[in-house]
Amino acid sequence: MTSSTVDSARPAAAGRRRPATPPSGRRNGDPMAGYLFLSPWIVGMLLLTVGPMAASLYLSFTDYNLFTTPEWVGLDNYRRLVDDDRWLQSVRVTAGYVLLAVPLKLAAALAVAMLLNQRRRGQGFYRAAFYGPSLIGASVSVAIVWKALFSDDAVVDRLLSWVGLDSGGWVGNPDFSLLMLVLLAAWQFGAPMVIFLAGLKQVPAELYEAAEVDGAGRGRRFWSVTLPMISPVLFFNLLLETINSFQIFTSAYVIGGRNGSPAGSTLFYTVYLYDRGFTDFRMGYASAMAWMLLLGVGLVTAMLFRTARGWVHYSGDNR
Amino acid sequence: MAVLKRFTRSLAIIATLCLVATGTVACGDDTESGEVALRYSWWGNADRADLMQQAIDLFEEENPGITVTPSFQEYEAYWQKLTTETAGGNMPDVLQMDFSYLREYADRGVLGGLDEHVGGDLVLDDLLAGFDGAGAVDGTLYAVPVGGNTWSMFYNPALFEQAGVPAPAIGWTWRDYHAAMATIKAETGTYGGGNYTGVIYNLEAQLRQEGSALFTEDGRLGFSKERLARFWQQGMDLIEQDVVLPVETAVQIKPASLWVDDLAASDLSWDNFLTRYAGETDTEIRLGPVPSDNPGQLGQYLKPAMLLSTSADTEHPEAAARLISFMINDPEVGRIFGGNRGLPATNAQRDAAELDGPLAAVAAYEETIADQLTQAPPAPPRGAGSIEAAFIRISEELHYGRIGVAEAVDQLFAEAEEILEP
Repeated sequence: MTSSTVDSARPAAAGRRRPATPPSGRRNGDPMAGYLFLSPWIVGMLLLTVGPMAASLYLSFTDYNLFTTPEWVGLDNYRRLVDDDRWLQSVRVTAGYVLLAVPLKLAAALAVAMLLNQRRRGQGFYRAAFYGPSLIGASVSVAIVWKALFSDDAVVDRLLSWVGLDSGGWVGNPDFSLLMLVLLAAWQFGAPMVIFLAGLKQVPAELYEAAEVDGAGRGRRFWSVTLPMISPVLFFNLLLETINSFQIFTSAYVIGGRNGSPAGSTLFYTVYLYDRGFTDFRMGYASAMAWMLLLGVGLVTAMLFRTARGWVHYSGDNR
Repeated sequence: MAVLKRFTRSLAIIATLCLVATGTVACGDDTESGEVALRYSWWGNADRADLMQQAIDLFEEENPGITVTPSFQEYEAYWQKLTTETAGGNMPDVLQMDFSYLREYADRGVLGGLDEHVGGDLVLDDLLAGFDGAGAVDGTLYAVPVGGNTWSMFYNPALFEQAGVPAPAIGWTWRDYHAAMATIKAETGTYGGGNYTGVIYNLEAQLRQEGSALFTEDGRLGFSKERLARFWQQGMDLIEQDVVLPVETAVQIKPASLWVDDLAASDLSWDNFLTRYAGETDTEIRLGPVPSDNPGQLGQYLKPAMLLSTSADTEHPEAAARLISFMINDPEVGRIFGGNRGLPATNAQRDAAELDGPLAAVAAYEETIADQLTQAPPAPPRGAGSIEAAFIRISEELHYGRIGVAEAVDQLFAEAEEILEP
């Protein structure tokens, strides 16, 4: 019934779309329709984002075990964090991961994007092939496969032992397990790659020609033309990947479990948060952790924006 | 302002429409049938879901007027969903409960007390002797066991024989076990066992053999720092002698067990795990008694593995109790499930279940030590699950050599202090 009303209303609306002069009464008219169309989004935002965030902020100041009513404890949860060795451990692990994974992933994305930027046959295929991993990379199955690849006497271990590096499987080795997850992240470079590719297409060919005339080699052209020209794109990717990396969960949880096995080397922030909330029934504490993460990511983002002034150049920028 | 008013008015209309719509649906349900509808949540997989549906069909046939809607998740997801449902005041009427979570839920008043139904809707006369009172917390019955298991020694008879070591038998001591592991490693090259000091239930077994327990009555740790240090030092000695499976290997084969590639000759675990292990290897694995330094005291008990509880808020406590009673007593249900839920908790279902293969072995094993089984400890304190996890984590760091025994002990006690706070 409703659909038929919509259908019958359509020709009338279409007829009104391009009047010679807009009817004057309508100009300041009723934004009601606008609000109505926005309402799914507004309701969604209030119910699914603002509401839960406010609730979690409140809960972070309480002792809440999910069953009984939250008990106000003020800043207790936050104070406890500082004394919590496992929390500090999770901060260390996550920070180490972000510092390793983000540059590696961006470097891989940029390198492959530059390769794919050249004209050659089967380009579409290569682009799809390199993008593939980031479509499936966050899934549980890939994490399981990854774990299998890096196990004792599996593919990676054998390859390494051929070149004389006997690692004995990275999964059970606390010195290598983090690196394994870093590589998993770097392998999913597809999304930033596509963005880099778009950025590279925007660099005017004249600049390269001019640089070449001036005698600049490949490396020089990269440093003096490519990098500055794509710096806004690079910055965008850097921000996105940094924020994403702080929130690594699925692969870590699948490979390392809730304890960040082996020996706590993959105890990521979110893994510990989940463990606290859902297995220790300390939702207040977990909420406080979530807000500290937000604060941390916010700080890092702000710092990135600050440094960006020095190296990100926008076209038409007068500085 | 007028706009806002109109906006809120239309919102109100939408909201009213929604209410009316949902209201009629709900009303329709109640008035048309006058039926009792129960929601029943359990953990498991698709296989069990098939069996469960058969059992539920039987129940509905015998109890016209009651419909049961089941829902299930994998174990981890199950607890996550149950905690959120409970927090939201939307707990299922009947739910599967785990021994280690029982007190967590019971203490917080979200489980329904079952005592008033016992003898009426809930028949418990046929429970195995070891299950008397299992599922009670501080004198109130909150759960009824569906199945049970007991801690035990798993061993590979071929390797024991090859090394000339006698098979585990009642009366063997922990010292015997250590010697056996060393001999097997020396004679066969296969590790003698898993490092049992990474699992809290082995400490529990030793403590019970000494007449104490993992937790005290008032929910504190039931052992001293020195006792735990002695236990963990034993594990370090075994590592030094290179007779137990190295932690690096144990960690990376998870979630599989050490049986998967015949990595070691023995391990300690819950006896019903035999079905799982038998699926992981073609090698024959047998069950034997847990070593004990105290003759006549194995420290083993029948643990309620899977229990059924009701919600404190259920509108149909009688029907819920009747469903639980049916699920644990009905012989036909026992036949349907076989060993799927562990060994059944009632005699009628044990007799009805056609146990073959590994489960027959488990049943036979439980038979042989039946007179050695002692009373199960009371439901573990709130946070027991977290302590078990901390035990695994800290002993792992210890086995990796990242911390020393003294430091590991201090860490566990510090965490227990925090977890077990009243």
